Amino acid sequence: MNNISQFVLKYRQASWRVQLQWLVLFVLGLVAVALVAFGYLNISSRTTRTGREIQTLKENILSEQKENADLETKLASLTSSQVMAQRARDLGFLPVDPASIIYIVVPGYTTPNGIDLSSAETQPVTPVTPPEYTQSLFDWFAEKMQSTVSVSGVRP
Amino acid sequence: MKNPHTWRYLTVQILLALIGLSIPAQIIHLQNSAEAKAILDAVDRYNGWDETFLPKRGDIYDREGHLLAGNQTVYEVGVNLDALKALDALDANARAAQENNIASTAQEYLDMTYNEAMDKMANPPFPDTTYIVLADNVAEDKAQALMTMKTSSLYEPVGKNLNQMGFKSHFQRSYTEGSLASNVLGRVPSQDNAGHSGVEEKYNSPLAGSSITVWVPADPILVRDLPTPVGTTLILTFRREVQAAIEAILDAAVSNTGAVAGTIVVMDPKTGEILAMATSPRPNLNDLAHYGDTLSNEHPLNPAISKDYESGSVFKIFTMAAALDKGVVTPDTTYFDTGIFMIGDVAIRNWNNTVWGLQDMTGCLQHSINTCLAWVATKLGKEDFYSYLQKFGIGHTTGIDLAGEAPGQIRLPTVTGSGWTPIDLGTNAFGQGLSVTPIQMVMAASAIANDGQMVYPHVLYATVQDGKQQNTSPMVVASPIRADTARTLNEMLASSLENEASKALVPGYRLAGKTGTAQIAPYAANNATNASFIGWGPFDDPKFLVYVWLEKPQTDIWGSTVAAPVFKQVVEKLIVLMGIPPDNIRLQSEP
Repeated sequence: MNNISQFVLKYRQASWRVQLQWLVLFVLGLVAVALVAFGYLNISSRTTRTGREIQTLKENILSEQKENADLETKLASLTSSQVMAQRARDLGFLPVDPASIIYIVVPGYTTPNGIDLSSAETQPVTPVTPPEYTQSLFDWFAEKMQSTVSVSGVRP
Repeated sequence: MKNPHTWRYLTVQILLALIGLSIPAQIIHLQNSAEAKAILDAVDRYNGWDETFLPKRGDIYDREGHLLAGNQTVYEVGVNLDALKALDALDANARAAQENNIASTAQEYLDMTYNEAMDKMANPPFPDTTYIVLADNVAEDKAQALMTMKTSSLYEPVGKNLNQMGFKSHFQRSYTEGSLASNVLGRVPSQDNAGHSGVEEKYNSPLAGSSITVWVPADPILVRDLPTPVGTTLILTFRREVQAAIEAILDAAVSNTGAVAGTIVVMDPKTGEILAMATSPRPNLNDLAHYGDTLSNEHPLNPAISKDYESGSVFKIFTMAAALDKGVVTPDTTYFDTGIFMIGDVAIRNWNNTVWGLQDMTGCLQHSINTCLAWVATKLGKEDFYSYLQKFGIGHTTGIDLAGEAPGQIRLPTVTGSGWTPIDLGTNAFGQGLSVTPIQMVMAASAIANDGQMVYPHVLYATVQDGKQQNTSPMVVASPIRADTARTLNEMLASSLENEASKALVPGYRLAGKTGTAQIAPYAANNATNASFIGWGPFDDPKFLVYVWLEKPQTDIWGSTVAAPVFKQVVEKLIVLMGIPPDNIRLQSEP
């Protein structure tokens, strides 16, 4: 028994070494927390910046849609039938005399029908923002936990 | 051994515990206090806001994709009265100087007087009004000039800046073609943003779309997609070049004949698509200040659908169609005209009391003999005659997709109290004693031009929503007569035009048609008439059906001399614009 006590005393770490180990462990823990905090802040700040950019871009889209509507209307006014007819007259064109038209028979020719605006007005597919861009780290953790629990719940 | 200081330790422990517990208790108390609720409410106000997104009103295009009705940005210019009141604290004269500067600027840029602007600022509608509108629908160039002035004078002293002036942009309807097809399009007054008359009213709901209100978070992390609602786009059945050409012909005809008004409707008799619907006079939709100048109860926006009148002899085609279909007469049936036909004790006479002698049914149509058609109607009998008229849709709206359609008027023997008398059978046979709208005549005549099948007239070619185009399908609404009856009558109408060397004939094209001249009641009081012509072509494969109506022409009262030449001009334009070759070439190219 005495031998055992001596053995323990002989190989027992020095108190300063134990303290250092605790200190290192504490610092490691602190670094881990700091890393998580840094990551969280980094992601949050980038998400915020991206969100602000999205808001700005959305405003720009609305503004440009208005401008497009304005320009489309302006263009249509500048090329209205009265304006085009006047420009044609100014360029020396005259209304055609039906008797002067020469018709040529083209087999298979069909007169064009009305316009198809379906392709011209195709709306962009509305993008769905993935939850990674909106949920917080805690939300993400809670969701993962919940999904784990619910998966375990249905496991046979 | 008992520690004598135990009670002291215990007291300190309890005290510390109480202090420790009081902290969360106070936190809970603070979080649930009225003040906390007020603070939370205030914070909520800055978290975001409800924003209503108004859809851009759907555009209207012609058949070839030319914009007829679009949108353009205009501005509401207003003044922040709260900010003006705040100037009172600065200096007694500060507010007056600032109001003076705003009013002077408004006079220069906003089409209002200095006093009007001052009055609006001094007399808001309510004592607690915080913002008043100085002017709305201000053009973009003027608004931009004002905004630049405001920005450049931002740091100028009070009385020289425009810091209290505010601007809000919104869309206003803009009609790129001015008065073109204004009778069809209708209008959208800026004050209620709802369609009035025409296509704008009929399709107001899809055009206007639905506004969407969403919560817009201020926190950029919670950013979400903002909706961009858009009204449905409409594509109409007519081409602007055809419409413009027909309007030009009509305007010239009204001017040349001294008529008070005129209407021309062009329809594809196989599909019911309206290819042109012109009225004269018509308003300029971009000049709403003078919009009503051309309109009255006597001259509605679109007489083609909303003004009924006694059409006169053009109506004879339906009497003849009914009689042929019923087998009461054939083209070879003869009638000896003595210039008078008695129904009971009432005499029916021809125009100018002309006597035509022995005529077959084609001759009756060619010379437009009233007595003959009255005789045909009596042979048909009142039950069958009015039954056929109802099958042709006379007395009912056609259902055309334009707001403000009138049903016309007809007295029916089957309706008690309608006021029908036996003489009506004779006069109705040649288009007097009943009233119809041009669109009713066009729809009914489509049955004759289209092998007995009467088509639904419409102006909507397609709708475009979410990038998908939905085309309108042609619709046959009834078959009032058999196909062989329609072909027989077609041949009679074409022959009658050729036999009388009508002014409606176009070289190279065989056409069917009928003139109409109707006295305007009271018949004895004046010699004013409604001159009309209805016709279609090419004879064997009709591509257009044209109805011409001139109200009270002055140079000549007869449809054959004032309306028939207009029909000819319309056809000459249509064959060019629609690319319809002469019959000999067309038939050669067909298999």
